[in-house]
Amino acid sequence: MIRNIVGDVYQIGEYVEGSYGYEAVLVYVIMNHQHPILIDCGSQLHRAGIMQEINSLLAGHTPEYIFLTHSELPHAGNLQQVAKQWPNIKVIVSNVMLPYIEIAPILPLSQITSEAAGKTINIGGRTLKFVFATLKDQPGSQWVFDTQTGILFTGDGFGYYQSAEQIGKFSDEVEGGIREIQFRDYHRTAFHFLRWVLPEKFNPDLDAIFAQLPVKIIAPIHGDAIRSDIPTHVARLKQAVANIRNVV
Amino acid sequence: MNTIIFGEGLERVAVRPITSDIFWITHCLGDKAQDIYKNYFGMLPNAADYSGHRIVDYPFSAFLVRDEKSLMIDTGAPRQQANTLKAVEYVLGDKSLDYIWISHVELPHAGNAPVLKRRYPQAQYMTVRGGEQYALHGLEGAQLMAPGEVINLGKHQLESVEPLFVDHGLSQWAYERTTGFMFTADWAHNLHEPAKNECFMFLDEMENAGYSADLHCDDVKVNAWYQFPWLKWTDPDEVCAAVDTFFARYDTKILAPSHGNIIRGDMARYVPLIKEGMRQAIAM
Ligand SMILES: [Fe+2]
Ligand SMILES: [Fe+2]
Ligand SMILES: [Fe+2]
Ligand SMILES: [Fe+2]
Repeated sequence: MIRNIVGDVYQIGEYVEGSYGYEAVLVYVIMNHQHPILIDCGSQLHRAGIMQEINSLLAGHTPEYIFLTHSELPHAGNLQQVAKQWPNIKVIVSNVMLPYIEIAPILPLSQITSEAAGKTINIGGRTLKFVFATLKDQPGSQWVFDTQTGILFTGDGFGYYQSAEQIGKFSDEVEGGIREIQFRDYHRTAFHFLRWVLPEKFNPDLDAIFAQLPVKIIAPIHGDAIRSDIPTHVARLKQAVANIRNVV
Repeated sequence: MNTIIFGEGLERVAVRPITSDIFWITHCLGDKAQDIYKNYFGMLPNAADYSGHRIVDYPFSAFLVRDEKSLMIDTGAPRQQANTLKAVEYVLGDKSLDYIWISHVELPHAGNAPVLKRRYPQAQYMTVRGGEQYALHGLEGAQLMAPGEVINLGKHQLESVEPLFVDHGLSQWAYERTTGFMFTADWAHNLHEPAKNECFMFLDEMENAGYSADLHCDDVKVNAWYQFPWLKWTDPDEVCAAVDTFFARYDTKILAPSHGNIIRGDMARYVPLIKEGMRQAIAM
């Protein structure tokens, strides 16, 4: 399902069913004139559908960069297919990742660059900023902020399970937005370490990101983009983290 | 059997027996370590200690238990696929591989599961119960184990252990009851120096050649800080108490993390050092 989030940014991807409802496995595409950028490339299970959607969006343009939030299969499983179709594509990952061993050897290592949190990159006139991933399940995970649209791409962070009716809908198209319990159920399964995490230590680090960046939209891989009321959704996520700690 | 090395550089894999029937199958970079880890440790407050005068290396290990039924603990990464397969074949000869046991689904841990399964089609994937979307993570058809469940291999009994410190949501550790072999995946590992020939050494061998308790503690700290960025939000007393409870429960005689040199015994000496490393990592 292809959906325009805002401006030239689109989400595509699939939804897999589980006991909590549906889990999105998304890919984001920034059209960026002649310099398209992919954020993750989805699961190999959804290869045909994802490649078809990417191709229909790009309409013959060649993606210049793919940013991998991290290297797990639901995020990087189609890299082989992407590299096959666009062999010159450049891959950007966190500087904490070890591409030689954490990414399948399907591209020359010279095509993979590592960027540190806090750095910015300019691609065809567009500035992206790399952000420390507060919620991650691999050390080599990173978030990225699109300064043009105010979208923060959060990888596994801010994921949530959704009902069948909610599939493909942005938060502003869902009555009341994303609920705390949706964040809680997802984060408890994705981040088992949260049972150790003290909210009073965690919250200031999460708040600092939103204090520093003018985030208008949160775009998780495992949930449709959150386009509305960012402070409320951040507060719900913090409540979810506190509830996971207290209810284990 | 001594250490046997297959390949070199980014693809090098060594195999070395830990007991007569438990084998360490491990990749590390050796003299290529400096190139790769220069940036990796660059963000440390004391980066020079890890990429300057002390050039460290970081192993990626799997373990093979050879018995009536044989079992691989993790699989290594695709870049070392061919040499990993050679190491497994070297150990097993014409015996079969019966279980491919996965601690968690990251590429350096589970990335060779498909090729092992192709080479040994009867092998059963084993992973941890309680998750969903196994197919999404490449583990379709895996048999699921809850913590406490045991696979009987003959002389060896491999128990699935609830892990203390994890990155990925779907994770398990393992305890082999006959030998007291404890596998802790991404936790409690040291670093080693290729220039001192520490690649593929056991920790006691490194100590005999000068590796100190202080360095060990510092390495545990640095690795925990990198591996578990969430530690800074935890309570150090709670973390250390959990480590004590863990080793009181499991009589550990061999400590085998994925990314360190193997500890053979004397855990009473190492547990306080590991706890101190964790405490310092939380304070970093
Ligand atoms: Fe993940
Ligand atoms: Fe994910
Ligand atoms: Fe690991
Ligand atoms: Fe080494």
